[in-house]
Amino acid sequence: MPDHTHKQFDTEMEAIRSGVLTMGGLVETQLSRAIALLEGDESGSLAAQVSADEQVINQMQVDMDLACSQIIAKRQPTAIDLRMVLTVTKIVNDLERVGDETKKVAKKATQEAQNSRLAQVRCFDAARAAGRAKEMLQLALDGFARLDVNAAAEVIDMDDEIDAAFSAIMRQLISYMMEDPRTITPALEIVFMAKSIERIGDHAKNIAEAVVQVVKGIDVRHATAEQIRAEVAES
Amino acid sequence: MGRPSPLLLQALAVPAAVLAVAAIVAFLAGGAWGFGVLAIGWGGVLVHHVRHLDRLTAWSAASLDARVPEGTGVWRAAFSGLYQRVRTRRAHERDLAHTIERFQSAAEAIPDGMVVLDSQDRIMWVNLRAQLLLGLSADQDVGARLVNLVRAPAFVRYLEAGDYRDGIVIDSQRDAAITLAIQVVPFGVAEKLLIARDVTQMEAVARMRRDFIANVSHELKTPLTVISGFIETLQELDLDERQRARFLELMREQSASMQRLVEDLLTLSALESEQNPLAEESFPVGSLVEAVAADARGLSQGRHELHVDVADGALVQGSREELASAFGNLVSNAIRYTPAGGTITLGWRVDGDGSGVFSVTDTGIGINPEHIPRLTERFYRVDRSRSRATGGTGLGLAIVKHVLLRHGAELEITSEPGKGSVFAVRLPARRVRRIAAPPDPTPATPAAGAGTPAASRQAARSTP
Repeated sequence: MPDHTHKQFDTEMEAIRSGVLTMGGLVETQLSRAIALLEGDESGSLAAQVSADEQVINQMQVDMDLACSQIIAKRQPTAIDLRMVLTVTKIVNDLERVGDETKKVAKKATQEAQNSRLAQVRCFDAARAAGRAKEMLQLALDGFARLDVNAAAEVIDMDDEIDAAFSAIMRQLISYMMEDPRTITPALEIVFMAKSIERIGDHAKNIAEAVVQVVKGIDVRHATAEQIRAEVAES
Repeated sequence: MGRPSPLLLQALAVPAAVLAVAAIVAFLAGGAWGFGVLAIGWGGVLVHHVRHLDRLTAWSAASLDARVPEGTGVWRAAFSGLYQRVRTRRAHERDLAHTIERFQSAAEAIPDGMVVLDSQDRIMWVNLRAQLLLGLSADQDVGARLVNLVRAPAFVRYLEAGDYRDGIVIDSQRDAAITLAIQVVPFGVAEKLLIARDVTQMEAVARMRRDFIANVSHELKTPLTVISGFIETLQELDLDERQRARFLELMREQSASMQRLVEDLLTLSALESEQNPLAEESFPVGSLVEAVAADARGLSQGRHELHVDVADGALVQGSREELASAFGNLVSNAIRYTPAGGTITLGWRVDGDGSGVFSVTDTGIGINPEHIPRLTERFYRVDRSRSRATGGTGLGLAIVKHVLLRHGAELEITSEPGKGSVFAVRLPARRVRRIAAPPDPTPATPAAGAGTPAASRQAARSTP
């Protein structure tokens, strides 16, 4: 194969890698905005920006998918290149889902909580869980940028934390709902929001696992952090 | 080729000598013996050279800092020449490394984050500060594309647009509380230097200024809306005398609150103004505390039990008028936040280190600890509705802070929600001169406010 074809192929591969990270950057920013909303930042346009971000993210997903299928059709990549293209499509899907969940969180965050204790849960516990989810996403994307498999195990550890935070929020809300049935409707809204945050953590975890798969060529889905650490150290 | 080098002559000397000895042996003992000597002699020379050649080859294949082998005979000279060269090169390398190290440590010492990028925006070098601010790692990220790691969309757009005349300001992706100003400077052929500076403080000041204007407008608009509403009502509706009087009274209240706000704003701006030096005078503190207490009685109208406890007499150096306004603000706060029937104690004492402490102790609603550091911010209110209902402008403690700043004094706030608060002003020793205690005009009361234990003090130090 002539040399310039290789070069062009490399450029295309680099472009989809950077594309994922650009998309990731937008999702991270969108999530930061949603967290600011949760924490009670009232500077008007935030909610609108989160929705606008979601539109852009959707368009990016379509573009990235097209770029990936073109590479597969035109270049017939093999081995690590094929793994990379497949991983990129996977990560793009996860990022798009995070965008959706973030939009849901932002929408719920703008709703007025009538009950001050519920407002406390929302702006303190939920915002903190969302902050952790953002850190996870960041770590997973950094792992992808650096092709660093060690980040994956760390991300999975953090996911356990978010799951724990989610059950803590649930317990708290259930006790409020039992005390006063009038809080059920707003509390349910917060439950959905917390669930969205928990889902964001799961998607970040998926991204981290995809990084292990692209680098090591092993499938670590549904493995524990310890198993991943062992696998990574082994191969 | 010129004259043969001495080394060459030296190298040829041994085989030549062997040849000469062999010739002599052949002449004396016969040709076969001569050949034997020649073969053994030259064989020995060959073995010697091959062994040294082997050492040289081994050395050249070894690592760069391997020792130059030692040799004998002609090889000694050759190896020592090599050794000299290696030593000179090492000295050069050390010098160069030293220079580079100095440059790098200078670059590390720069308090801003710096990243050097190549023409493809790949990271070539990154200093420690940039690693912290941008979340990069010098070990892992050299050669990586910067936009893959610093992914903020605004930054990516800035770097890709290629117009670097102005910098941009972004929130750090690593820590939302940090604001970064980023400036790219092109240099060399297509390289770029990226400078990232932590501007969190500057941004906070700018935000405070914006918030202040928004707050003032809001505070003025609220009473104004009420007043204009009543004016409309009075113009359009035919009201009886009683209603009319009631509306006018409400309008008077609102305009009074606007007036208070404007007065406080003027006081604040006068306090802040550089051209307005502190009017220094010396006055007995007892009379000031008494005057403040008299105002407080008027404000309380008998709803609170008011004690004055001046433990030590002293002359205070400073502006009596400003201190009176600061003390007055603290006392009026105590009255406003203490339910009827509560106790308010005004205290003055001189501590062992010579500093004077004016304290206001109340049995009011108290303040949650998270609010205390922010109390002196303009328009900061723990409970908005309550503050406005009791006629506060939201500027009282800001005025106190500025007055104290001008006197080098500190505000110390201790509070327990539900139990009450102590606001204490600590005047520095240089402003306080102890004199004989004045006759106490009020009956002695337990000095509840005077004895704040030092350990539980939470000083809200005034910052300019």
